[in-house]
Amino acid sequence: MRRYARLYWHFLLQRFKILLEYRMNFVIGAGSTVLLQAAGLLAVWSVMRQIPDLNGWTFDEILLVYGLITLSKSINHMFADNLWIFGRAYIRTGGFDRFLVRPINPLFHLLADRFCHDGIGNFVVGIALVLKASLALHIAWTPINIAYCLVAVVSGGVIFIALNLLTAVSAFWIIDSIPVTSAIFQTHEFAKYPLTIYSRGIGIVMTWLIPYGFASFYPAAHLLGRPIGVLAWLGPLIAVALITLAYRIWLWGLSHYSSTGS
Amino acid sequence: MTLALRRKGRLYRSIAVMTFKQYLAYNLWFWVQLLGQILMMTVFVFFWRAVYAGRGTVGGLEQQQTITYILLAQMIAPLVQWGQILPMGDLVREGMIAIELTRPVDLQERFYIETLSSLGYSLLQQVLTVGLFARFVFHLQLPSDPAIWAAFGLTLLLGNAILFCFDWMFACLAFYSTEVWGLHVVREGTVMFFSGALVPLVMLPGWLQSVASWMPFSQALYTPVALLSGIIPAAQAPQVWLVQLAWLAALAVGSRVVFRLAVRKVTVQGG
Amino acid sequence: MPTIELSHVSKVYRTIKKDSGLRGAVKALFRPHYVEKVAVHDLSFHVDAGEVVGYIGVNGAGKSTTIKMLTGILHPSGGSIRVLGRDPHRERVANAREIGVVFGQRTQLWWDLALRESLNLIANIYELEPARYRQLLAEFAQTLELEELLSVPIRSMSLGQKMRAELAATFLHQPRVVYLDEPTIGLDVMVKERIRAFIRDQNQRNGTTVMLTTHDLDDIEQLCQRVIIIDAGSVVYDGPLSTIKQRFGTFRSIAFETAHPLEIEHLILPLGTAIASHGERALEVRFDRTVTSASQVATALMPQIEAIDFSLAEPDLESIIKQIYAGTHTAALREEVLV
Ligand SMILES: Nc1ncnc2c1ncn2[C@@H]1O[C@H](COP(=O)(O)OP(=O)(O)OP(=O)(O)O)[C@@H](O)[C@H]1O
Ligand SMILES: [Mg+2]
Repeated sequence: MRRYARLYWHFLLQRFKILLEYRMNFVIGAGSTVLLQAAGLLAVWSVMRQIPDLNGWTFDEILLVYGLITLSKSINHMFADNLWIFGRAYIRTGGFDRFLVRPINPLFHLLADRFCHDGIGNFVVGIALVLKASLALHIAWTPINIAYCLVAVVSGGVIFIALNLLTAVSAFWIIDSIPVTSAIFQTHEFAKYPLTIYSRGIGIVMTWLIPYGFASFYPAAHLLGRPIGVLAWLGPLIAVALITLAYRIWLWGLSHYSSTGS
Repeated sequence: MTLALRRKGRLYRSIAVMTFKQYLAYNLWFWVQLLGQILMMTVFVFFWRAVYAGRGTVGGLEQQQTITYILLAQMIAPLVQWGQILPMGDLVREGMIAIELTRPVDLQERFYIETLSSLGYSLLQQVLTVGLFARFVFHLQLPSDPAIWAAFGLTLLLGNAILFCFDWMFACLAFYSTEVWGLHVVREGTVMFFSGALVPLVMLPGWLQSVASWMPFSQALYTPVALLSGIIPAAQAPQVWLVQLAWLAALAVGSRVVFRLAVRKVTVQGG
Repeated sequence: MPTIELSHVSKVYRTIKKDSGLRGAVKALFRPHYVEKVAVHDLSFHVDAGEVVGYIGVNGAGKSTTIKMLTGILHPSGGSIRVLGRDPHRERVANAREIGVVFGQRTQLWWDLALRESLNLIANIYELEPARYRQLLAEFAQTLELEELLSVPIRSMSLGQKMRAELAATFLHQPRVVYLDEPTIGLDVMVKERIRAFIRDQNQRNGTTVMLTTHDLDDIEQLCQRVIIIDAGSVVYDGPLSTIKQRFGTFRSIAFETAHPLEIEHLILPLGTAIASHGERALEVRFDRTVTSASQVATALMPQIEAIDFSLAEPDLESIIKQIYAGTHTAALREEVLV
């Protein structure tokens, strides 16, 4: 564990050296995600300024939901972006074979190989939104709330990563897994808004099947003191279960790969 | 003269056919995009229903009008989403641009024909897939007057050409920066918002509306969709076309100039 | 215990055959139609510590497949493999610590990083002791002439520079076994020489076991005491290089240059000879030296062609291997292996 942490640090250091070399790219990359988020937010704001609330949620409350999911997403974006291009950039080119002849976990190697700076933009936007919302809504930053928020965001990030890993495994069969990954990933759009605005079916799917709800809506509802019962605390459990499942399936895909080589 | 035209016609037809075949080749992508669009449509419809809950009009529009607008906007959105910078980036990065420039077809013309043929194809695809979904699940209501449809078609065509010219200029940034994905995302964010793909532009506060009107993006989405959903009355169509032609003239000239400058930079500095 | 040991190894690739279009894709999803491709079949050989073995065969013979199995990337469909006493697939990580691999045209270095940074990362991955790493880096920088390249990113290196950098990265953790899959592909003679010298040096000083696949027979002649030739996934020859040369190098050739244009049809050739090639004023004749001799051939032909110059050529390995690949000698070789 210590060894992997140190190794990750070395990878990160080298990555930043590259990014500093291409400084302009760094700025454009990180800035672009800020802009994309801004466009979405501007749209919500334009609408919300004309109505007092959306299904009982004020604009600031929605910002909290939006901010939490942006933060969770940024964790995935920064640390696990290679899952998107795993098939294209590593299986197809044979680059993945290189990972297999090195004495470290190939999944770790894959993730560590490219820290994605574009995610920093999302991270900054997420922090800004959560701060803005918490100030406007007078959420006290007690140690408990801070800890709750941290755990919620990390769990959310893990849920994002687990779902992307689960779908990236298909690259072992079909090589270009991006369409499969994006099919599931896109559903996180639902979780940008309070799940109560949707029909019951969608709410259930986003809670139990593709549980992005735990990356945004449930922690936000809890922080705002809305009664959601045990759902406020399930996020970490679901994240752990999901990532374990995803890792198992990854191992299964890996063993398929070593028998077919393609 | 006619011979030259006919030869061009044949050339363009073969480009169009190839684009179509490429579309079919990516069939997995097809389903995923379809799923993604249905998803976004669903999110938007529920969002707007919640916005209108118990309210008659919001921002001067009625619920039915807004929902019609949003459904149509979501159908047109894929046509404005992609731009030209990613393919241009590929050409520049792999040094293919030099080869492309020696071909006996004007590169910009070729890209435009590709865009046009994918406009036709996507439109058909959108109507047959997302369109049917919107019609039967979300009860999309459309005008029956053929004049409105004709006006819509012309406006869309002009708007598409305007956006293409803008995108061509924007794609020239690929000659100066290797981070085309980031630039693409910047463009996507700007275009999606100011084209009206997310919110009908009339709902924006005044200052944002005037910002939008100084940008060409609304011509490719908001204007045609607003015509079709009745937000812009059909009687105003001729005015709309005048504005569009002005945009088109300016951007067509601009795009050729910018491209020539960018190419010169490459040939002088050797990439 | 041999360092590398394969017994009755086979590898069958099973791929799904897809019809084109959406219908094909859907059909492949529900009723996949498999095509089997036997890449390696009943392969057995072993390599002892410190050997440098040339592993050769035509394109598609199964060389890379074998290397992928030896490195643990693929697991065999049948038979068993041991490398340093381990199953390389099952104990992949432990195996990986002790081996080094070069995959021909693919680099293991990070495209955008300066060579020094790439090597630093590799040293970290293999947990090299810092002092040892510094020492090796200095040594490699000298023997592979990398000093000036250390601060250059890989993307701006030439092919030859890249391969030298690649070798440094491969030997950095002092692996006991090294697999080189076409390490000299596309390089000029100078770089090839330097690379061969480096490999030889590593082998002699550290006793590194080396398995080398190549299409360049100079590599083999200069580095390997032993060759294994495979064809269609099976061994067709395994033995010292000298044996092939002795046994199949019975052909010699003589090249003539003539004063006047040749009239090939009118030539009378002595027994045991054949025309290998000819031009307007050039003629190359191949003969079996167990049947006739160079002087006999020359005496028979000289009066007929008015030669102004002639030269005798030793058989080179390439032409021998070509014959073996072409199947001329396969049967003979099989007998030899059996005997
Ligand atoms: N992943 C794969 N799936 C299916 N068939 C494969 C795969 N990899 C290799 N093959 C087939 O197995 C056979 C052996 O291939 P291999 O790459 O081992 O040959 P090679 O001896 O290395 O050839 P070369 O000299 O061209 O590198 C070939 O017929 C090849 O087409
Ligand atoms: Mg090979």
